[in-house]
Amino acid sequence: MLTLSVDELETRLRPIFLAALAGDGAAYRSFLDAISLRLRGYLRQMLARAGRTEPSETEDVLQETLLALHLSRHTYDRSSPVTAWAHAIARYKLVDHLRRSGRHAGNLPLDDEAFQLAAAPEDVASEARLDLERALETLPERTRGLIDRVKLQGTSVAEAASAAGMTETAAKVAIHRGLQAMAKFLTRRGARPP
Amino acid sequence: MQTDDLISMMTADHRKVDTGWLRRVTWLAALAALGITILLVLATLGTRPDFAGAWMTLPVIAKALLGASLALVALAVFQRSLRPGLKPGRWLWLALAPLALAGLWALVTLAQAPAESWSTLIFGRYWRACLIAVPLYAIAPFLFLILLARRGAPVDARLTGMAAGVASAGLAIMGYSLHCPDDTAPFLATWYPIALATVTALATTVAPRLLRW
Repeated sequence: MLTLSVDELETRLRPIFLAALAGDGAAYRSFLDAISLRLRGYLRQMLARAGRTEPSETEDVLQETLLALHLSRHTYDRSSPVTAWAHAIARYKLVDHLRRSGRHAGNLPLDDEAFQLAAAPEDVASEARLDLERALETLPERTRGLIDRVKLQGTSVAEAASAAGMTETAAKVAIHRGLQAMAKFLTRRGARPP
Repeated sequence: MQTDDLISMMTADHRKVDTGWLRRVTWLAALAALGITILLVLATLGTRPDFAGAWMTLPVIAKALLGASLALVALAVFQRSLRPGLKPGRWLWLALAPLALAGLWALVTLAQAPAESWSTLIFGRYWRACLIAVPLYAIAPFLFLILLARRGAPVDARLTGMAAGVASAGLAIMGYSLHCPDDTAPFLATWYPIALATVTALATTVAPRLLRW
C-alpha cells in the first residue's frame, strides 16, 4: 500500500467514515482497517522516540486508541477532518500511556510530523502485550462464546447470535458490554505499569 | 487479543451514530442547570425585596446579560472541547468582551461621580455576599457539565474545565441577579469578575482529575 499524505488519506477516509456514521457496517470496517494501519505507524514512531521499541507496546496503545475511537464516535464533528479527530485521540492515549508507564509526557516531542510520515508498509500487526481477553473474564460464559464467534471474520452478528442462542439485539448489547469492559480494564490499569 | 479481532468486535457493535447529541445535550443541561440555580436562589436567598419594580431596570438586566453572555460563549467552547481534533480554546477569549464592556461602563460611572462616593459605588452593601453566593450557586451547573463532559472525549481537560467554570459562573450570575441588591456599574464590574475568576480557577484545577478517560 502506498503511503498517502494526510490530505489524501482524509479525502479517501472522509466519505467512508460518513457512510459508517450513517450506519454502514462494511464502511466502518474499512475505515478501521485503514486508520489502524496509519495509527500503528504513528504510534510506533512516537514510542520509538520515547525509547520504546517493543512492537507489542505499539499494539497495546493502538488497541486502546481504537477502543476509544469506537466508544467516542459521537464526538466527531462533521465539519472537521476525520484524520485530525483520530490523531487527537491517539495522541491523548499515547500521552496517557507514557505517563502511566512512568515517563513524563513532556519529554516527548508530540508534533504532528510522525503522523504525516506514518504508515510505512512494513508496519504489520503484532501481538499485544496486554491481553484484552482478560477484561472479558467477568462477562458471562455465553457472552464470551458469542464474542469469540463474532471475532471470526465473515461471521455476521445474526449468525453468531443464533449459534449462541441469543436474539440479535441481545447479542449486540453483549458485544457492546464487552467493548466497554475492555475500555474500563485499560483505564483502570491506573499507575501500575503493565 | 489480535487487533483484527478487536476491529471485528467493533464492527459487530457498530450502529448509526448521532453526532449532534453532544451539542443538544449541552444546551439542555445548561437550561436545566439554570432552572435549578434559579430555584436554589429562590429557596435560599429569595428575590430582592423590590424585585417587582426592579427587574426591568438596567442594572438587573445588565447583570443577567453579563451572566448569559459568559455562559453562551463558554458553553459553545465547552461543547467543542469534548470533540477531539478541534481547538476551540481561543474562542474563550470572547468571554472577555462582556467583562470589558462592564468595566468601561464602571469607569464612565466613576468618572462622572465625586471621588468621595467611589468607595460606596464599588463596595455597595453586599459585596461579600456576591463573592460567596456566586461560587456556591455555580456548583450545581459545574457538576452537570462535568457529568456531561465524561460522555465526551475531552483531550484538553484543563480547557474543558475552564469553559465549564466560566459557563457555571455565568449561569450562577444569572440566578443571583434575581437577588443581588447592589445596582451600581462599578459593583458589577468588580465583584462579579472576581467571583467568576474564583470559579474558573477552581474548575480548571479540579477538572483534569475528574475527566480522565
